[in-house]
Amino acid sequence: MDLSFVLDGLWTALQPINLLWLIIGAILGTIVGILPGLGPATGVAVLIPLTFGMEPVSALILMAAIYYGALFGGSRSSILINTPGDGSSIAATFDGYPMTKNGQAGQAMSIAAMASLIGGVMAIFGFIFLAIPLANFALNFGPAEYLFLFFFALSAVVALSIGNMVKGFITMFLGLGISTIGIDLQSGVHRHTFDIPHFTEGISFVVIIIGIYAIGEVLYNMFANKQPKDVDGSKIGQKWFTKEQWRRSIAPILRSGPIGFFLGVLPGSGGTISSLLAYSTEKQISKNKKQFGKGAVEGLVAPESANSSAAVGSLIPMLTMAIPGSATTAVMLGALVMIGITPGPLLFENSPDLVWTLINSMFIGNIILVIINIAMVGVLVKILKTPPKVLYPIVLILSFIGAYTLGYSTIDFYILIIAGVIGLFMRLLDYPIVPLILALIVGGEMEQNLRRALVIYDQPVDMLFASPITIVLALLTLLSFSYPLIIKLVKRASKNKDHTVDL
Amino acid sequence: MNAVRLSLPIFFIVVSLVLAILTLQLPHAQLGNPYGPMYFPLVVSIGLFLFSVIDLIKTRHYFGKENEDLKALLKKETLFTLGVILALCLLYTLIFERVGFLLSTVIFLAAIMFFLNGKKKWMLNIIVTLVVSGSSWYVFSYLLEISLP
Repeated sequence: MDLSFVLDGLWTALQPINLLWLIIGAILGTIVGILPGLGPATGVAVLIPLTFGMEPVSALILMAAIYYGALFGGSRSSILINTPGDGSSIAATFDGYPMTKNGQAGQAMSIAAMASLIGGVMAIFGFIFLAIPLANFALNFGPAEYLFLFFFALSAVVALSIGNMVKGFITMFLGLGISTIGIDLQSGVHRHTFDIPHFTEGISFVVIIIGIYAIGEVLYNMFANKQPKDVDGSKIGQKWFTKEQWRRSIAPILRSGPIGFFLGVLPGSGGTISSLLAYSTEKQISKNKKQFGKGAVEGLVAPESANSSAAVGSLIPMLTMAIPGSATTAVMLGALVMIGITPGPLLFENSPDLVWTLINSMFIGNIILVIINIAMVGVLVKILKTPPKVLYPIVLILSFIGAYTLGYSTIDFYILIIAGVIGLFMRLLDYPIVPLILALIVGGEMEQNLRRALVIYDQPVDMLFASPITIVLALLTLLSFSYPLIIKLVKRASKNKDHTVDL
Repeated sequence: MNAVRLSLPIFFIVVSLVLAILTLQLPHAQLGNPYGPMYFPLVVSIGLFLFSVIDLIKTRHYFGKENEDLKALLKKETLFTLGVILALCLLYTLIFERVGFLLSTVIFLAAIMFFLNGKKKWMLNIIVTLVVSGSSWYVFSYLLEISLP
């Protein structure tokens, strides 16, 4: 590892303009995260237009800051009003909200922020040691390896829709179908463009993402939103956590960081699973088991550390192989491509400055976020009181501006509205959104690699045995698809065992 | 409620059939394999069709089951609210390039704010409309130099 890149990155990250974007991103992210019903994916999606016209490095810093800022913010609403901003902050409600009810809201927020900071910093070290070897490894990938990598990523995401795998497949195929719209790059044939010139370059997946997440969420919240509970600013209590709380927290924080990081790196797992797993692991090994769910500080810091760590981890597959590990990184990937940054193994070779600046900015950003979250508790509580009926029209406007700046055409507005309505129905009827988004993003590349591989290998089956990597990826794909079945069989087996014991 | 539950599987079946028909009508490629551009979308449409049919069959298990969200959606006032919001979005789309960003945004925001918050909160509605329209115009047009109509 060349140390000069690290120092150059630190220097660039400390430039006033980048620091400014970092602080703006952290504040905007926290606000978006704290607002009920808006998750980090929606936050990044509606704020994408802000990055246009910026230096790529500043844009990347801003987006990453919005991302982890939103995660910080998400846990604030979990702790204060028992309403998680998105899936990854669900686990923070288990013990965070009981702490608020016990009059320890301030302490809960400060220790949660500290847990996020430590989890995030641990993951940044993980990022440094894992991302570069992974990028170098991915340089050896040919069309067959990429094809199987895409298969694995899609299968992992579909497999996560446990109990809903059929719906996962449907949304995946829908995403792949939309990705075929536009000029076929290998033959020049116009596919499904309906003679609309705007469609020749394909439908922008960022527009669909904004539509499904932002418009869909606004429409859904119009009738499904439970009015946010009122927060009494005077009941925040002591702002800083006690020595005893810190003593009880440090081990869970250090244990949960790596869990979050490794699950974050896997495509599709993201923050939700890692924070829930960190919570249940801590609950199992803790001496204070009985306190869990009643305001145990360990039950709050473990998921927070894992969640923050997973967020950094999920940047690895996105930056090294252009495979997003979560919905938010999928949105970020789209935005990066729009501003001229092409994630993939070559990013680390061609623009090491960009990568190291990002890593350094993540360090600084995490510290800034702790300061924001602890110093501005009162303001954050006020933001939480923003009436949804004021908020949603603003989200609508930002969505429309975002869509317009992507293609300078109001045709994208129609796509935005249609995607919003489909997103609403998908939410209502439990169709998973992430497989659609991932398929939409990787669909084009997947097809190109498939066709290249078909030219290189005489028989399709030869692709499978192209290299040990393809075999491993094919096995992982198979494992992902059979994962829900395995879980079912294991559950049945343990049930039978219990029955036998009972008898 | 059951009709709503059936809506998406049926919609996806229709999409898969349209995708298959459009794919079969594609012109042959002049370069490389003449059928090259057709393989992938065809496989995708078949996959979408098969899984949507399975989903449609599985949907009947949910018939008669309560769903709070669906119940809320099917209320008359909800449908009216969603209809008005979508109609305003369409109106915004139609006037955006014709009358320009600033004016169309003021009209859209004012309409939606008054619709959601009522006349009583006229002060809040007007302030939010003007501040959001003006500041977004300033940020995007001047600070970020993005050309808006």
